[in-house]
Amino acid sequence: MSVEAPPAVAVDRPRRPAPSLTLIAGLLLAAAFTVWAALQIDFTLAPLWRNFSNGWVVISQFLQPNWSFIFRVWDAWVETIAIAIVASAVGVLVGLLFAFGASRITNRSGWMYRTVKTVLSVIRSLPDVAYVLIFVALVGVGSLAGILALIMFNIGIAAKLTAETIDAVDPGPLEAADAGGSGTFSRARWAVLPQILPNYLSYCLYIFELNIRASVVIGIAGGGGIGQVINVQFSRFNYENVAAITVAIFVVVLLIDQLSQYLRRRFV
Amino acid sequence: MSAGNESQATSGDAVTTASAGRTPRPAEPSKAKATIAWIALAVIFGGAVALSDAKWGQLSEVFTEGARYFRLMGEGLLHSPFSEPYSEYWTLAFQKMMESVYMAWVGTMLGAVISIPMGFLAARNVAGPVTVQVTRIILNAIRAVPELVFVIVIMLPIFGFGPVAGAVALGVGAVGTLGKLTAEALEGIDPGPVEAAQASGASRWAILRWAYWTQVLPEVIAFWLYRFEINIRASAVLGIIGAGGIGQLLSQLFSKRDWDQIGITLVVIILVTIAVDSISGAIRHRIISGSGQKVTTEEKAEAAV
Repeated sequence: MSVEAPPAVAVDRPRRPAPSLTLIAGLLLAAAFTVWAALQIDFTLAPLWRNFSNGWVVISQFLQPNWSFIFRVWDAWVETIAIAIVASAVGVLVGLLFAFGASRITNRSGWMYRTVKTVLSVIRSLPDVAYVLIFVALVGVGSLAGILALIMFNIGIAAKLTAETIDAVDPGPLEAADAGGSGTFSRARWAVLPQILPNYLSYCLYIFELNIRASVVIGIAGGGGIGQVINVQFSRFNYENVAAITVAIFVVVLLIDQLSQYLRRRFV
Repeated sequence: MSAGNESQATSGDAVTTASAGRTPRPAEPSKAKATIAWIALAVIFGGAVALSDAKWGQLSEVFTEGARYFRLMGEGLLHSPFSEPYSEYWTLAFQKMMESVYMAWVGTMLGAVISIPMGFLAARNVAGPVTVQVTRIILNAIRAVPELVFVIVIMLPIFGFGPVAGAVALGVGAVGTLGKLTAEALEGIDPGPVEAAQASGASRWAILRWAYWTQVLPEVIAFWLYRFEINIRASAVLGIIGAGGIGQLLSQLFSKRDWDQIGITLVVIILVTIAVDSISGAIRHRIISGSGQKVTTEEKAEAAV
């Protein structure tokens, strides 16, 4: 048997795989939705060069921050940090309870699990301003409304992140707890909690950071703190004061970020 | 923390002393550190409660007033949505919510398109060190400024009141996070395909298109969708200061205290948000798991906000 030599001609290029229909349909749909959405809100970028001078007046004011203003509103800074501390502390504690209810591992009752899940997704679907407006209507303008609104907001995030961590715990300690005949509570306390604690603590710090960032939003809607100062200065067109506050918020967020990164390295 | 250490210490002692017959129970490890940490936290919390300037006496109104308003909201919801004026309330809330969704989508698309070149320029394995540093500084500066400030300072004077100002502000804000995430995704790619493309003599552009971009595409699109979900919530905030959408409607309603209409509006927000989130979430999971990558997009994206 002689081995046939391979043909000397160049091999044909392999056929291009047929494009996936789902992909094409998806892309068309996304493009159509983009066009439709842009038409609905009359989207145009033309004012960007037509009215740029209007914006430039404000921007040039913004570029000369009035630094001394930062320390004149010292009370508002203290208030903002205090709001963030109280709201994140309460929010993450309640969020932890919800997280245990929102994981199949710690909550073995089917209907309770689904109820908690539904409640959580309702809590998460309302934006933070909506909560501020609700609580301002209930308890009046001020930091209490801000604290209550942030607590609701924090419960949603803390419960979601922690429940996902609980879902991924090592089953070994769970089996040990089951074999030892522990009840639902002690199982969650001794087999699950120690495993999720490092992650949970880092979520707590993350939520605290988010709360500082959210302070602008909270204040503008009437929830107290530094955002309220920004709101007042805006309505008086004191943009140089707003610029100083904006830069200061950035620095505060950066410092807290550094601090929480340091703490996170120690926990995890 | 402390619980983990305790159990380790106890089990270690048990192993070493097991052979000695009946042994005394090992001493409990010191809890001093944990106690100090708890006391410190309690002091911080107490201080914050005192310094927050909150009128704690009004806390009870949450329940008294809350129950009353909740009943009023319920009344609005229980009326037939086809009777006047409730049908108008439902339509108006839905229209305004969709305006917010459109604003968020256009903003996200705008930000996504700009973030692609920015992401490439900010990736260390694509651009030179100087370009990377400059681009990263720009991206970080954008991330530092709250979207609210973008709207008030730049967009409202230029675009006037309305959803376009909000969409552009959301777009600019999205460039910061999406650019950073794209750059990080590009830096994490498998170098194999890049080397293969280089070995076969591909042009620089072809390498970027077929070796870099194809590898990060699923993850990047998942980030875009996640950003869209975030932007829907952010658009509510922008509405309060005049960028249209659901936020504008909400602040009008709350200043009039029309509780039956507020109830309807809140329910529309919840329904539309949950619907959009679940569609977008399903697409994200399909894209990511379809590509065989194990990425927890949400954690990454949350960390970058």
